[in-house]
Amino acid sequence: MATRLQFENSCEIGVFSKLTNAYCLVAIGGSENFYSAFESELADAIPVVKASIGDTRMIGRLCVGNKNGLLLPHTTTDQELQHLRNSIPDSVVVQRIDERMNALGNCIACNDHVALTHTDLDKETEELIADVLGVEVFRQTIAGNILVGSYCTFSNRGGMVHPHTSVEDLDELSTLLQVPLVAGTINRGSDVIAAGMIVNDWAAFCGLDTTATELSVIENIFKLGDSHPTAIVDTMRKSLIDTYV
Amino acid sequence: MAANYNFKKITVVPSGKEIIDIILSRTQRQTPTVVHKGYAINRLKQFYMRKVKYTQTNFHEKLSAIIDEFPRLDDIHPFYAELLHVLYDKDHFKLALGQVNNARNSISKTAKHYLRLIKYGDSLYRCKSMKVAALGCMCTYVKKIGPSLAYLEQIRQHMSRLPSIDPNTRTLLICGFPNVGKSSFMNKITRADVDVQSYAFTTKSLFVGHTDYKYLRYQVIDTPGLLDRPFEGRNIIEMCSITALAHLRTAVLFFLDVSGSCGYTVAQQAALFHSIKSLFMNKPLLIVCNKIDLQSLDKIPEDDHKLVMEMKSEATKTLLGLGGDPNDDGVLLTMSTLTEDGVSAVKNAACERLLNQRVEVKMKSKKINDCLNRFHVAMPKIRDNKERPLCIPQSVLDSKNKDAPIEKKKLERDLEEENGGAGVYSASLKKHYLLADDLWKEDSIPEILDGHNVYDFIDSDILQRLEELEKEEGLRLEAEADDDDAEMDGVELTADEQKALAEIRKKKSILIHEHRIKKSTAESRPIVPRKFDKDNKFTTNRMGRELSKLGLDPSSAIERARSRSRGEKRGRSTTGRGDGVMDMDVDQPSNKKLRLRSRSRSVMSSKKGGEIVPGAGFRDVEQKNQALKIAMKSNKQRNKNARRGEADRVIPTLRPKHLFSGKRSIGKTDRR
Repeated sequence: MATRLQFENSCEIGVFSKLTNAYCLVAIGGSENFYSAFESELADAIPVVKASIGDTRMIGRLCVGNKNGLLLPHTTTDQELQHLRNSIPDSVVVQRIDERMNALGNCIACNDHVALTHTDLDKETEELIADVLGVEVFRQTIAGNILVGSYCTFSNRGGMVHPHTSVEDLDELSTLLQVPLVAGTINRGSDVIAAGMIVNDWAAFCGLDTTATELSVIENIFKLGDSHPTAIVDTMRKSLIDTYV
Repeated sequence: MAANYNFKKITVVPSGKEIIDIILSRTQRQTPTVVHKGYAINRLKQFYMRKVKYTQTNFHEKLSAIIDEFPRLDDIHPFYAELLHVLYDKDHFKLALGQVNNARNSISKTAKHYLRLIKYGDSLYRCKSMKVAALGCMCTYVKKIGPSLAYLEQIRQHMSRLPSIDPNTRTLLICGFPNVGKSSFMNKITRADVDVQSYAFTTKSLFVGHTDYKYLRYQVIDTPGLLDRPFEGRNIIEMCSITALAHLRTAVLFFLDVSGSCGYTVAQQAALFHSIKSLFMNKPLLIVCNKIDLQSLDKIPEDDHKLVMEMKSEATKTLLGLGGDPNDDGVLLTMSTLTEDGVSAVKNAACERLLNQRVEVKMKSKKINDCLNRFHVAMPKIRDNKERPLCIPQSVLDSKNKDAPIEKKKLERDLEEENGGAGVYSASLKKHYLLADDLWKEDSIPEILDGHNVYDFIDSDILQRLEELEKEEGLRLEAEADDDDAEMDGVELTADEQKALAEIRKKKSILIHEHRIKKSTAESRPIVPRKFDKDNKFTTNRMGRELSKLGLDPSSAIERARSRSRGEKRGRSTTGRGDGVMDMDVDQPSNKKLRLRSRSRSVMSSKKGGEIVPGAGFRDVEQKNQALKIAMKSNKQRNKNARRGEADRVIPTLRPKHLFSGKRSIGKTDRR
């Protein structure tokens, strides 16, 4: 089941948190509500860690990771790095990289096997992504946007991309990523998918503004609960047509 | 995006009298109030013209606001236009707004006219009379539209209570005879909480509720009951229903009471159905037989059954018009709002039918092409043989499989509540560290140690390196210990050395002590000229003493000082000079001055004169020195007395009393 929540009156929860199959990073907020929303869902399975990166709270946009590793931008301080290394299981490699673009979360999207990256990323960074995260790396754009990390989000089960992605692009991306994909929106029509939601193989969290239709698309494509991606084209089709057209 | 119909935002319409009060007091407050007979006539005219103009502008603004805020019946959705017509009578409404508009124009015209008249005014009295007349005239116009304003205010109040119906969204509309259970059904499927009573016409206006079906929100409109009578004979309450039926694109639920407990026979209800069936054209229509707990549909009399079937066939016809299946049995549904039997089936059928219709219409529109990608799920084609497994922890899978409710954990939020709430509670970040030993969790690690960033030295092989370093350190310490032993043995001072050391220390302490005394009395110490200071007098004796105290031979220094104090020897004698070679130098010109200068001089004398700059007005260095000496001498006494010198900053008396007292501005009455 996907959970709807808010970070201090902001629905862009993907900015303030990072979810992978091995750990969950949560921004340090004014109260524990945001943290506890994750804690109650995930704490049994994976560590939920309060963290900051470069003294900011927008950790979801600054770092990128999966079950194998976590890449941090060069703005990360030594203390933050140490905190993360202490909090995350030893099987996960935590690595700070010297990439010119420090919003790694906006430039890179990945699951445990494949990563899409910004087209202008350094060669060394690309190698580091492949080594640390253990993924195949593809330089891609999504619906003409170079910030692939912002406009798509995918787990090992499925993925959602920018609503203007054409059908051909969808098919191509789907073959690259080897997961079913759908074009959609989040937070009542927002197209920055990754900012509005975070997902792993068994849980998803979205902004509070997300509509019931958007939420059920998410549950279907990410196969949360007993749903299946094909439901989007069978049972939900009419609702979607009536909503969007 | 369709316009949002919100009539709650219309501002209050003041009565005619209130408007007059508001405007006149504003004129009084916002325009100048003091005028004088003696002013130039142009100024007087301007004064009164301004008042008239200002009053007119305010009236214009106020009335325009009223006219603009009310909806124009031609511009809004036909449903609302018709509803407003039914409720308030379009003609009356337009007339009222027209009158306000007329008043606005008349006021402008009057103001223009009187402004022209004031322009020709020739005295304060006439201008004032003209102004009074102008304002009076304007107020009369506003007073005349008083009833219209009162009517508009009433309408505003009523409009602000109209339900906010969105004419373009998915809508279910419930209609039927009075007392057949429309409002009960509404209450069952929405949370509108409509009043339900056992008498007819409980519902006197339209009500709106919302319900969900398949992730979508549906607007449900409950209408007042309809009676079977000619269109012209219907009252306002019934006309609301008719308006909604006629102008909204909805799914219609026609309610039928087969038990007849509503007080109307099935025949009457069928007649109503047939008389208004033109309103059901192109709309998904459902006939709902309510109250089947009293009378099931199968057991009604034969002729009633026939009527129902007739209606059903009519409804199926409308369905056919929409391209539906002729054998569809879903047109006639039965339910009981009392037992909730079939309620959700009716709702679902209606929603489904409406959705189908809307989708069908939308599929034909051009806009669908822009959204086709949204209805497409891209399935991956296999590109290699690599396996990409999921990664779900076993604990998650386990908890999914077992259905037993998990006992509630204590969350961070609960801890926060217990410990003073947000802003007070501060959770430790180290609480959940995954370390080899839990005791290490709260250990504080310095960030900087000995000027080094600790983190730069954190390495994976740190322990191994530490061991190496420790070994090295141990070796070094051992070696050092050996050295130290040897050194310590050798240090033994002789008796003389010890004495000398004691001397040095004693002297040092005396010096420090003396200095401290000097320092503490620096302010109040008398200044003794050196000439009379026996201890500090410059004498060769003293020099000799001091130098010998330092262990130097003073004789040559004394000799030299004495020879200097005796002054230059005249003549060619160069004895006593170390550098007699100088005179032998043949290249040197035999000028006396040059010779004097070439000798190495004492610091003082060389410093004193320096070079003369051409144009400074000195003949030579000597003259310059002389001048400097005189200048310094003249300052000497003054400096000694700590008096003001010419180099000090001075603010002279800026307004000397004697120059400023006793005078008048026009230059008369000189005191002196």
